[in-house]
Amino acid sequence: MVTFAFLDWFWLILFLILMVGCGVLFYRLGKRSESDFFLAGRGLPWWLPASSVYATHTATDTPMWVTGVIYRYGLTGLWYTFFSAWCAISAFVSTRIFRRSVAYTQAEWNTIRFGGLGAEMLRGWIAGWQVFMNMFILGWVGIAMGKICYLAFGWPTWIGLVSFSSICAIYVLAAGYWGVVMADFQQGIIAFSVIIIVSIWGVIAAGGPDGIVTKLAGMGESWRLDPFAFSGWFEGDFPAIWFVTMLVIAILGGFGMGTSIDWYPEAQRIQSNKTVRDASYSIWWGALLVIARNSIWAIAILGFYVLFPNIEQTSEYELGWFRIGFEYLPTGMVGFFFAAILAIHLSTISTHLNLGAVYATRDLYKHYFKPGASEKEVIWFGRIATLVLLLGSFFYGLMMEEITSWLIFALWLMAAGIWLPNILQVVWWRFNAWGYLSSWIANLGLSWLVVWILPEFDILPKLLDYQQFWLLMVLGAMVYIPVTLLTKPENMDHLVKYYVMSRPIGWWGPVKKEAERRGLLSQIAGLKQGEQE
Amino acid sequence: MSFIKRKWSAAEADEWTKEDWLTIVISPLAYILIMIGVALSFLLLWTGFIILALGIVATVVMHWIIDPKLKAISDEYETKQKEYILELERSVRWEEENG
Repeated sequence: MVTFAFLDWFWLILFLILMVGCGVLFYRLGKRSESDFFLAGRGLPWWLPASSVYATHTATDTPMWVTGVIYRYGLTGLWYTFFSAWCAISAFVSTRIFRRSVAYTQAEWNTIRFGGLGAEMLRGWIAGWQVFMNMFILGWVGIAMGKICYLAFGWPTWIGLVSFSSICAIYVLAAGYWGVVMADFQQGIIAFSVIIIVSIWGVIAAGGPDGIVTKLAGMGESWRLDPFAFSGWFEGDFPAIWFVTMLVIAILGGFGMGTSIDWYPEAQRIQSNKTVRDASYSIWWGALLVIARNSIWAIAILGFYVLFPNIEQTSEYELGWFRIGFEYLPTGMVGFFFAAILAIHLSTISTHLNLGAVYATRDLYKHYFKPGASEKEVIWFGRIATLVLLLGSFFYGLMMEEITSWLIFALWLMAAGIWLPNILQVVWWRFNAWGYLSSWIANLGLSWLVVWILPEFDILPKLLDYQQFWLLMVLGAMVYIPVTLLTKPENMDHLVKYYVMSRPIGWWGPVKKEAERRGLLSQIAGLKQGEQE
Repeated sequence: MSFIKRKWSAAEADEWTKEDWLTIVISPLAYILIMIGVALSFLLLWTGFIILALGIVATVVMHWIIDPKLKAISDEYETKQKEYILELERSVRWEEENG
């Protein structure tokens, strides 16, 4: 149990005043327009959304699972955390294309890329699913905070869940995305500083860098320092083929939109940048900070392993980084550490409150129920949606123990069968709304069959994660490719409009040719002619 | 004419060129080098410092290649953006469009 001294309380209260102050300070900007409440007026320099990308992807449960994989696999476990690498290619491909589309959300982008009834169905589905997902993530992250407060102070879990999410809601309700991004900037700095301080403290406690290397060698565990210490090509609990699969998913996923669950909050950050260039850099540098952070954490966890090498229970060693902070930092710094945990927590909560609200407001309320709504009405609905998400997250958080495994399964399903369609929708002109919609439906059915039902009846052996991924990808393609080719292409007028606006990468030959024929790309043709002359 | 194009007109920058593909290759490589480099450097291992240095060089080279092109795209696009946003507001209102 942690006891706070005066200085600890000072840090904590100062931090909370700073965060809520953001709401008060940016209240006027947030209520100016819909674009301000949800995208900060699309006027931010790259470093602000970059800090938000970083802060958002440092959630309360992140140190737990990073600790879990590093404690178990040593530095090879870093590859589990490398999923943020989708930003490597995305920053210069899908980010650029998405920013040019000026869509507020991924759901809205569907009506720009596709047309007709199929596009409307996709927009409604993705918007509804995102409202649910954001509420779920809020509950998941919220209850993680409840558990940390129980660990640190012995509070009942609901107190940690309800109190801090409610404080966060103050500045999100008041200033919308302006409050989110400005608070994220401060939270990002605080969280990164504390991660470095606590990690250095952990390394020192374990005997310093040399001490860790020497002690691991003495324990016969030097393989933990090797980032490529796989259990074999195909065998063991971390085979090289799993590493290759993760690299493919992460890196090539950057050509698409929605290949990672993180795409959805990033899409909002992409649109809030003032230029296409700013959007690219915000995604690239934000993800780089995430990757560097994981490496810094990893070394602290190696130190924790040297100090406590024989912990068997996952739930126990997953708390390693928190233990370093609470047990090794001096009095007066523990409050600073807790403020950093709160920073980590609030940045995720604020993001998902505002993100869920933009889908509920822009894609459901304004699009389907009240297309003529004034800016003032839209902002007020955004606030009501924020409040509903907050209350819903309490409900999810408190019942999370029962549903977590189901929902993690749902997330995994999404990653597997929808991965390739998420790329095809960006790079292949012929891929249409019906193909994309059928991939969602097929994936839902196939993944239940492959992961649970067929193994249960011994029709299919229980497959490893990477085997499931490749199999679901092939089976899904056998549905959505025929559906795409057997249904009509999207309307050429619609495609030309999208092409001229977004200039997508990949196989867009017929659309480009049509745009040139209509003289919409004549500027380029004229320039090329000029160059030749 | 140099291998890497550094001066772009807006229309040229709209096309996908070898500069984009070089960036697409270098960018994940930079992430991998920095991830491993930071971890091993924190342990004060000399291999870590070398890998980290390579990661930083890759990052600088990548920006040197792509930045002029991104600037050209951005400058041109910002002039059209206002019009596109107005168009977006109109076109996504399916009630009006479908009567």
